Amino acid sequence: MKNSNAYTIMYAAILGVVCALLLTATAESTKERIEANKEAEKLKNVLVALKVPTQENASSEQLIEVFNNNVQMEVKGEGLEFYYYKPEGSSEPVAVAVAFEGKGLQARIKGFLALEPDMKTIRGITFYEQAETPGLGGRITEEWFVKQFEKKTIVDADGNPGMEIKPGGAKAGINSVDAITAATMTSDKVEYMLNVVIKKIVEVK
Amino acid sequence: MADEKKGCMTCGGGMCGGKGIITLKEGAWSNNPLAIQMLGICSALAVTSSLANSLVMGVALIFVCVGSNLFVSLLRAHTPPRIRMIAEVAIIATFVIIFDQILKAYFWEMSKQLGPYVALIITNCIVMGRAEAFALQNPPMLSIVDGFANGIGYAVVLAVIGIIRELFGTGSIMGLWEADWYVGNLIMVSAPGAFIVMGFVVALFNKLKGPDPEENK
Repeated sequence: MKNSNAYTIMYAAILGVVCALLLTATAESTKERIEANKEAEKLKNVLVALKVPTQENASSEQLIEVFNNNVQMEVKGEGLEFYYYKPEGSSEPVAVAVAFEGKGLQARIKGFLALEPDMKTIRGITFYEQAETPGLGGRITEEWFVKQFEKKTIVDADGNPGMEIKPGGAKAGINSVDAITAATMTSDKVEYMLNVVIKKIVEVK
Repeated sequence: MADEKKGCMTCGGGMCGGKGIITLKEGAWSNNPLAIQMLGICSALAVTSSLANSLVMGVALIFVCVGSNLFVSLLRAHTPPRIRMIAEVAIIATFVIIFDQILKAYFWEMSKQLGPYVALIITNCIVMGRAEAFALQNPPMLSIVDGFANGIGYAVVLAVIGIIRELFGTGSIMGLWEADWYVGNLIMVSAPGAFIVMGFVVALFNKLKGPDPEENK
């Protein structure tokens, strides 16, 4: 009986349903918290890109508070999200971050590109959602990679918009940074998505 | 072990016959999944760059191993042999995902650091190996002990590697103690360091355990 096809199919179906129910229950009960964590993670990355000072080990609630007090969001052009950093008390923004996203090698990559008020110089960059190969493309979130972008410009020496992510050792321009060795695909895709958003920024500015 | 079915009902002669202790000792020490059987090396190398990561990973494996062993053992009389491995993986995956979700909901930072490695417990040879080699032939109580023993065996070795790597790599231990004069040793926190430390830990473990009595037959 245990070896009959009917029994095997029944067993598999029941086991499948029980496992699915357990997973659904877990997912439902944790959904709210996970969503809140993801949202806080996103806001945190806006704050990091804009270099808004925050407490170390700040909780999700504290981060949301800092965000609400210092940052204003505005949608321009075709759904381009601009986050203006206006420190409490000042009327002029001291920096602006723009949300970008694009296709990575493994999954979509999302991040923020923060610019100085001149709208040319990069203040910071963060990638808050990515699933690139750990140890290779996944290194786009590492400090050495994102730090390279600071003080670079989104236009080349002649004023043409665009950035380059070139293999290490190449002559660095004011708009180029080193690519990640062994992660050419990820580097190319990040370069592409940055250029797409840079083009849009130049258009709506 | 399966042939001895006498004894009390709850554990099928397991704990009462002193088998629980033997199982515990085997899983955690003399047949340690990491140091002796060399299973689950991938995660052991990947997450041991700090002690905190190692501990969470150890807890995850204990949880999954105990849970999957219990259910595989409970269902062992009803599971069709043809699909037993698929059934085991389904049970293991359920436990892993539950743990991963809890981690994501309540320990977000930790979950971010461990990244894909918690989900990868599904393919961890230790969990599958214990379900296949032990839980399928043994009563539930004994299977729980076995899952726990192997989980502890894994967790302890992971913690030892984690301490060594964090100490020599960054000069601190879980933020509880820190040497500011220490210059971080990058190799210890990167993958090659994991291999080196793992090698030494396994060698030490084998030295302490003594030679395998069956080896020189």
